[in-house]
Amino acid sequence: MHPRLVILYVLSLALPLHAASTKPEAAAKGIAFFENKIRPVLVEHCYKCHSEAEGERKGGLLLDRQSGWLDGGDSGQAVVPGDVEGSLVIQAVRYGDEDTAMPPKYQLDTEVVALLEQWVKMGAPGPKQDMGETEFSKLGDQEVIFEKAKTHWAFQPVHAVEPPKADDAGWNEHPIDRFIFAKLKENKLTPSPQAKAHVLERRLSYDLTGLPPDAEKPASVDDLLKSPHFGERFARLWLDVARYADTANTTVPATKMVSYYPYAFTYRDYVIAAFNADKPYDRFIKEQLAADLMGLKDRSPEQAALGFIAVTPFLTNPNDFADDMIDTTMRGFMGLTVACARCHDHKFEPVPTADYYSLHGVFTSIDKPPPHLIDEFPLIDGYDVTAEQRADFEAKENVIDKKVAAAKKSGKLVGARQKLSEVIQKSDLAELVTYNDGAPARAIIVKDKTRPVTSKIFLRGEPDTRGDLVPRRFLKLLDPKQEPFPANNSGRLALAEHIASKDNPLTARVFVNRVWGALMGGYLVDTPSDFGLQGAAPTHPELLDWLAADFMTHGWSLKHLVRTIVTSRVYQQSSDVREDMAAIDPTNTWYHRANAKRLSIEEIRDSVLALSGQLDRSLKGHPKPLWGPDYTHRRAIYGVVDRVNNDPTLRAFDFPSPTASADRRTENIVPQQSLFALNSPFIIEQSAALVENLQLSEGMSAAERVNALFHRVYRRDAHEVEQRRIAGFIALMEKRNTNPWPLIAQSLLTSNELLYVD
Amino acid sequence: MTSRRLFLQRSGFGLGALAASDFLRAADEVADANPMAVKQPHFTPKIKRVIHLFMNGGPSQVDTFDPKPQLTKLDGKPLPDSIKERLQPVQRARVGHIFASPFKFQKHGQSGLEVSELFPNVAKHADSLCVIRSMTSDIANHSPGLLMMNCGHTVLERPSIGSWVLYGLGSESADLPGYVVLMPSGLPTAQSKNWTSAFLPGMYQGTHIETAGKGQLIPDLTRHDLSIGNQRAQLALTRSLNERHARHHPGDERLESRIYSMELAFRMQSAATDAFDLKGESEATRAAYGDTPVGNNILLARRLAERGVRYIQCYHGVGQPWDSHSALVKNHEKLCSEADRPIAALLHDLKERGLWDDTLVIWGGEMGRTSTYQGSSDKPAVFGRDHHVDGFTVWLAGGAVKAGHVHGITDDFGLGVASDPVHVHDLHATILHLFGLDHKKLTYRYSGRDFRLTDVHGNVITELLA
Repeated sequence: MHPRLVILYVLSLALPLHAASTKPEAAAKGIAFFENKIRPVLVEHCYKCHSEAEGERKGGLLLDRQSGWLDGGDSGQAVVPGDVEGSLVIQAVRYGDEDTAMPPKYQLDTEVVALLEQWVKMGAPGPKQDMGETEFSKLGDQEVIFEKAKTHWAFQPVHAVEPPKADDAGWNEHPIDRFIFAKLKENKLTPSPQAKAHVLERRLSYDLTGLPPDAEKPASVDDLLKSPHFGERFARLWLDVARYADTANTTVPATKMVSYYPYAFTYRDYVIAAFNADKPYDRFIKEQLAADLMGLKDRSPEQAALGFIAVTPFLTNPNDFADDMIDTTMRGFMGLTVACARCHDHKFEPVPTADYYSLHGVFTSIDKPPPHLIDEFPLIDGYDVTAEQRADFEAKENVIDKKVAAAKKSGKLVGARQKLSEVIQKSDLAELVTYNDGAPARAIIVKDKTRPVTSKIFLRGEPDTRGDLVPRRFLKLLDPKQEPFPANNSGRLALAEHIASKDNPLTARVFVNRVWGALMGGYLVDTPSDFGLQGAAPTHPELLDWLAADFMTHGWSLKHLVRTIVTSRVYQQSSDVREDMAAIDPTNTWYHRANAKRLSIEEIRDSVLALSGQLDRSLKGHPKPLWGPDYTHRRAIYGVVDRVNNDPTLRAFDFPSPTASADRRTENIVPQQSLFALNSPFIIEQSAALVENLQLSEGMSAAERVNALFHRVYRRDAHEVEQRRIAGFIALMEKRNTNPWPLIAQSLLTSNELLYVD
Repeated sequence: MTSRRLFLQRSGFGLGALAASDFLRAADEVADANPMAVKQPHFTPKIKRVIHLFMNGGPSQVDTFDPKPQLTKLDGKPLPDSIKERLQPVQRARVGHIFASPFKFQKHGQSGLEVSELFPNVAKHADSLCVIRSMTSDIANHSPGLLMMNCGHTVLERPSIGSWVLYGLGSESADLPGYVVLMPSGLPTAQSKNWTSAFLPGMYQGTHIETAGKGQLIPDLTRHDLSIGNQRAQLALTRSLNERHARHHPGDERLESRIYSMELAFRMQSAATDAFDLKGESEATRAAYGDTPVGNNILLARRLAERGVRYIQCYHGVGQPWDSHSALVKNHEKLCSEADRPIAALLHDLKERGLWDDTLVIWGGEMGRTSTYQGSSDKPAVFGRDHHVDGFTVWLAGGAVKAGHVHGITDDFGLGVASDPVHVHDLHATILHLFGLDHKKLTYRYSGRDFRLTDVHGNVITELLA
């Protein structure tokens, strides 16, 4: 070789050679620093959500390896080596912006933050190791599961079966009865006689309106279906599924006030109005997922249908939000546990993880306006505000606006980076707008992002890489062609159309089963939000299909469905237990009698107010407190639902936690419920109000008064034995100078005769 | 019948209430109908109550009560394939190398029982512990593990052991629920299924109380505008209405459960106000228990035990706090330091207050942890241990069980049982036996067959009994 060339060659190698020779040392030092100083911090504060060992990769971010923070998560590269200011991790731990502040629940000490800054400055050294594909990620062979799914009942098309003939004339008229009768016979059971008229009247009233029957005039099924309380009753069922609440599951860090969704109530009102108007269920589905893409008019209250999305518990984290939406949408509408496929292919259901990320793309293409930016939410019609209410609101708003303006002007910060003006908006203003009746109603909405997102699969077991891009599209199980959704929007409408389709085998079945359960006190499919391979098998598959087909043929009409069920004999049976039948069918799986149902906490509260004459029957509006000094006299559905401070009374009575879609309510009997009956100021006050409302006249005998009370609460005369008991009680109380009447009223209002509906 | 008279007294039928003759009759009916009246066991019981300190999430036995010195030499080495096969598939898939306990063990007391440095205060009671090192369960995961430990089945909804005990024996306390589940806050994994009565009547289900709440632990606990005597009379009226209603609705057990629940709630007003008020405890006691959420939870368990509550469970915390898949050292240091002092204080108090002989204390989780670390990390700071059900530790304490005793041996790798396995069903059979109940005879007929807590399994482990 020419000597000059040799020199050049050496020179050209010099730099890399030099770097290479010193690198191992520096790298070892860097890694030692990481292991000794940084790893312990990450273990303590971050790994719960961002490490392979915990199986958690929140926000797509792993912090247990270099590739994790370099590739970053959904918000992008987490650490830019050497660039402290440009590294998202540093911004997060500095707690400047509450939306990205980490760890989510508390702020790290300044020294710890400084340590992390030092580490980034050093170039963020750390181990590279990858886990590779583990056996865990392969569990659940989708091919085998898809094969099984081919014959799974719930994935077969709905087809209306001809009801079998019953050899009992009375049970051969209504199609439902014919299906039920066949199974009763098969199981050597006989149906129960029809319930007495007053029993049936009460049952219908609660089942269709959630309220006790009107004392004045008996209501027909049609009257009840037309009542505005019908929508309230069925809305509450749906709101359990839609995990409805008036707050997110977080607080505003600076003030510790709950993060309100000031206009969540417009979604609640939308659901009530939809059921009252008998909006076709398929349309109801589409509006909840895509009202903004359906050409609604300005100021249309139906825009608030999007509250189904917008009332998510997750205010900020986009992946948790998408997960919540996938879960709520798929279990709520279709009874499929798709959310299990977040980290790996579903182990039991025909849901590859690609399906999850198809939907992940749909829901991360959504733009949720921050709830405190009021003008982002469109004003809607249908809410009357009096001049007085308006003035009250404006005066209070004015005060807050001034504070916000002053804070903006001063540029004052709370903590490191939070603008004081924003803190005021998120706390004081959001609270005012949530509760104040004078605040004009605006639809709670979401929008599409300008550029929709295509998600990559996050492969568990291949943590270093995100997997393939998956287009936004429907589930492989139900759309084997896997056609992508439109490229120019989130695909919510396309998704909704797949769900709300007559060809979807799940949607109608899932909904009719929910309604059946609400009316019958037992389900045809005992796992109402799981119709997959793991779900319960239907007790009456043909009946379920007949109901689903009939429901769709009749324009997806809820009122038609309800009417069909309640006009059957099986619905109208007596709930009396017959010992011989109970021995064969202890859980009443085959409907050999009606199920006596316990009132929900909302129904208890509404009944007490209705019977005391204090119920405010107005519809719609801002949420109200259910208990406490200023409790509302409106129906419980208008009560505030706070995810952060879960109401203990609601909880004691099995109100489901609104952090996730609830499939059904459990029924517990705990002493806390009885303490509520004995001591709740609400019950005590309303018992007194009931007595006052009865206007018992001076001239009435004690027995007449007792009867007046019994008629109001039980709609019957007091029995002789009851009269005697009460007379004894009155005598005792009078001896003790205590007014017996409110106490008697309370006894009636908290008795089993009121609490259970035969 | 003394128990009825006692019940009458405790029911608050004060002298005044006896004035009206109808109410006397009502009171008689109340006593006769008490479904929680103390019932005769099958044979002489050794214990009256259980305090179950539930370390939910699964504590690591090899770092606490089951030393494996053999593993020190093998630390960091891969697990032999033959041993690996013993693990359940999910654990096998993510098993890492051997992870010898970084914690020191020492022999304690006359018995020389070995306890690690994580439980220095509990170790002082080593001579009182009966350590079962050979516990086994079926499925190495939380929800099935919790349901197995509580209800004897990994999946199906079955009555919990506390419900079975109340069903078999009734409640010694007329004023408090017989079965109380204490939590600092929130719910454990598998939630209220852990204390369900399933098909047993609803009155036998556990009452869940969060003890670290901000306000009143139990809302609506008292009424101020009505004397207790008048409220008693009012409740008797409600009850008479409910009983007439129940007579017209035979076969619906919910109605009777609710009647009972109303009576219980009435008596709870004063009893619970007192039981849940820690102000009566001396400063020394508060300090011994630590005045922390976990400490106060355990102190409340003692107060309930003193007041006749039959089955008490204390969960360590919400979800599954002991679940240490990573950073086990740090996690266990924290969890043990939370639990160690109050548990030692509880054992001390039970002895001091004459409750030792007839109380059974149970310590443990729904499973244990592997002696290997999880995954392929190689940094001790992130080492965690995976779920493990074939050879984990539960210890018992109290006058009815052997003291300073170790039962069962796990293999050298701590991943299997070498001798004397005790399945959860066996533990259940043994607990029922101590209550004077034959687990094969304690049955409930439902859906056409007799059910029992241990299904078709379970043997009383007599070697554990004092």
